[in-house]
Amino acid sequence: MAHAHAHGHAVKRYSGIMDWLTTVDHKKIGILYLIAGGFFFLVGGLEAILIRVQLWQPQNDFVSANTYNELITMHGTTMIFLAAMPLLFALMNAVIPLQIGARDVAFPFVNSLGFWTFLFGGLLLNVSWIVGSVPDAGWTSYAPLAGTTYSGNHGVDYYVLGLQIAGIGTLIGGINFLVTIINMRAPGMTFMRMPMFTWAAFITSALILFAFPALTVGLAALMFDRLFGANFFDPSAGGNAVLWEHIFWIFGHPEVYILILPAFGIISEVISTFSRKRLFGYSSMVFATILIGFLGFMVWAHHMFTTGLGPIANALFSIATMLIAVPTGIKIFNWLFTMWGGSIKFTAANLYAVGFIPTFVMGGVTGVMLAAAPADFQYHDSYFVVAHFHYVIVGGLVLGIFAGLHYWWPKMFGRVLNETLGKLTFWMFFIGFHLTFFVQHFLGLMGMPRRIWQYLDGLGFNEMNMISTVGAIMMGIGTIMFLINVAASFAKPKTAAFDPWEDGRTLEWTIPSPAPEYNFAQTPLVRGYDAYWKEKMEGRSGMTPAEPIGPIHMPSPSILPFCMGLGLFIAGFGFMYAPDWGHFLGTPLTMGHMIGIVGLLITFTSMLLRSVIDDHGFHIEEAEILKDMGGKA
Amino acid sequence: MAANGSSPEQSGRRHKVEGPKKHIVAFVFSILLTFIAFATVIGGEINKDFIYIILLGTAVLQVFVQMAFWMHMKDRGHRFAIIGILSGVFIVFTCVIMAEYWVWW
Amino acid sequence: MSAHTHTEGQLPHEPEKATLEGRNKVLGFWLFLGGETVLFGTLFAAFLALRDSVMDGPTPDHLFDLGLVAIATAILLTSSLTSVFAIQAMHRHETKALINWLIITVLLGLGFLGLEIYEFYHYVLEGHGFTTSAFSSSFYTLVGFHGAHVLFGILWITLLIIQLKRKGLTVVTAPKVYVAGMYWHFIDVVWVFIFTVVYLMGKVV
Repeated sequence: MAHAHAHGHAVKRYSGIMDWLTTVDHKKIGILYLIAGGFFFLVGGLEAILIRVQLWQPQNDFVSANTYNELITMHGTTMIFLAAMPLLFALMNAVIPLQIGARDVAFPFVNSLGFWTFLFGGLLLNVSWIVGSVPDAGWTSYAPLAGTTYSGNHGVDYYVLGLQIAGIGTLIGGINFLVTIINMRAPGMTFMRMPMFTWAAFITSALILFAFPALTVGLAALMFDRLFGANFFDPSAGGNAVLWEHIFWIFGHPEVYILILPAFGIISEVISTFSRKRLFGYSSMVFATILIGFLGFMVWAHHMFTTGLGPIANALFSIATMLIAVPTGIKIFNWLFTMWGGSIKFTAANLYAVGFIPTFVMGGVTGVMLAAAPADFQYHDSYFVVAHFHYVIVGGLVLGIFAGLHYWWPKMFGRVLNETLGKLTFWMFFIGFHLTFFVQHFLGLMGMPRRIWQYLDGLGFNEMNMISTVGAIMMGIGTIMFLINVAASFAKPKTAAFDPWEDGRTLEWTIPSPAPEYNFAQTPLVRGYDAYWKEKMEGRSGMTPAEPIGPIHMPSPSILPFCMGLGLFIAGFGFMYAPDWGHFLGTPLTMGHMIGIVGLLITFTSMLLRSVIDDHGFHIEEAEILKDMGGKA
Repeated sequence: MAANGSSPEQSGRRHKVEGPKKHIVAFVFSILLTFIAFATVIGGEINKDFIYIILLGTAVLQVFVQMAFWMHMKDRGHRFAIIGILSGVFIVFTCVIMAEYWVWW
Repeated sequence: MSAHTHTEGQLPHEPEKATLEGRNKVLGFWLFLGGETVLFGTLFAAFLALRDSVMDGPTPDHLFDLGLVAIATAILLTSSLTSVFAIQAMHRHETKALINWLIITVLLGLGFLGLEIYEFYHYVLEGHGFTTSAFSSSFYTLVGFHGAHVLFGILWITLLIIQLKRKGLTVVTAPKVYVAGMYWHFIDVVWVFIFTVVYLMGKVV
């Protein structure tokens, strides 16, 4: 009855490049996130290699001191905001709706908007390399170094505006996942039956929601200081430089958990699947995830022990930080107990997951060491810190992403990655990683400060820096091997089975690889945790449907999200150069202002059009669904 | 349209059209609290800390009234809305209080 | 899913929650307001940290005119009440009354914005510019962010009034009106803290 009306609307379906620019399908947006995040991962990785080449011998002058500052700033910023988070969003987009048995995300349009704003923000940040004034105040961009007095060129402006735009994208992406998980679950999929990766994505999205607005304010204040002469962080006009540190880390510490929680989720899925056992201590795992998310907001000042907060504040933040080791420890033991007594298959994905556990424990242990405020005064700003956060971010997050990519690749692309090459890649990357960063603990303890361009001969730093550089190159080779694996997989036909690992436990393995546009021909009825495994154990081949087959309503594709992102890009670029360029036809506005206004007009016009034009969507007919299902009709 | 002012049974849920009275009461209450806040400051001559307590108390009370009545937070089906807002409020309060108390004083 | 099931005349009591899209929108907007709370919270924290750094500029207790603030507060509080009446009219399916209450809300919002612009203009003349001190920068940023939210709300509700006139009250337009109402209340709630923390506390010497 209801559908007859909607059939009247023309079905717009684009093909080729327009299909990708206008798509609101979460699976395609996931692939876009993967491509963009992968690209920025390569850029950030190249920057890392250049840093290590500069440091491979004492007093090297491969790059200039200024370029080195630009490299470390852009490496950190790119890897955190433009590589790690988008790669996680790629997996979340590709998997979450499938895991909860949903046909779509809650806000397909907003999802697409999130991607395009992220991409244009990231591009704006990296345009700085082309223009030649690159952010060079560190990824934390501390004031007053980031102020106009010490960073006079447009480098930090690119940081501020690029991150602001990319941050908007991340924030709305987070809201989309929260609502999707709350409102779109299949019948029977209660909260305590949700797969662990979905739980992790849920808590991560909540952290994004509450952490990113703080960054928005910090970046806006820094922008006002730089572009309009405000005095937030300028002590000579009554401002406070430490205020930036507080705002940045109130955002920045939850950000660390935004990154690592999804990796925890991936590891939980992979280990459980390839141990062929139910995840040990599921409810304690959920509880630990929530607790980590909660405590993540209470510990930001442990990045600032040496700023002089006083003993009481230092002690409290120290204790709060150490508390986080408790839920994290619960998780580690749960993974070990999941493997205990399981019939473990060491696939490439599982190798990454198993390699993750000891590596992350090492990063966690140095974390507890750093949490001890008096000891931190010694470690602060040394290579020990560099080693610590690379152990948790590369050894934790990046291994988790690789595990997830190998695991879900067939579901995303219908092709299984080559297992042999995958395992070789793991060993190359894993050994390279430990070579690079293990020695940096000792470099730090010996007194090598971080962020230095050169070091002198005869300090005992030479050999370890050499080892570190060799390790970095091995990680680079590992990454190239992964790319070769990807390319090779695309040379093969799409032949992956529904459940290519044969031990799939969750709903995404009950549907074709890759999933059809509408995900589930019939919404499944979920009868327990590990929904698919439960059906398998009871001798069924698939899920019990919760509804008959019928036409499926889909949202229309739209170019507007792309336009909104493009408008913000143009606006950011214009306003940044407003003080530099000549006036526009004798008005008080400069050319930069005009470009900025044009950009904002594009964005606001797109928003207006989105509000005014109702999206009726279209229907996928029963006949087409039956055809997809293999002509069962 | 008019046919819809029908009995609750017809749609199967709470359906009575609520009158404006409740909201006018909330409005009067808000105005009153605002008045108390302004009067305390203009009246002056009391202990500074005491004034701060009254100001923050009236503000929090007023926000509570508005959230409950005007933003329908006391109605059913607002569980995640309440969790969402309260998490935000909780984080804000911890941050503001920590920043104010330990860092600046 | 079934955005076309209901035609006008058969609207349910709460049309904003009749469709899954509508329920998603309302929940998503609630969560967004949770994020906005953190945004304004951070601005308040920055303001509190910097409010004593007046440098050579005028101090808050010399600067602020409580009469003006009281009028602005009364206007915004009233506009919050009228937006409640708008939502009530929507629940009664009285599109005309709904539009009228929204128009009143927008007019009151414009009045508030006008007062704020006048106030800022006045302050600048008294030597309290954006770049004068850390206090002035954080003051204009906090109150200005709120003002920008009011401006956005006015434009948004105006657009909705036009849509209501052209499309009528449907299960598509109703959630939009409902979340715009939530947004307007949120702005009012933020203002309660602004007049308390910025203006009234600034007057306490």
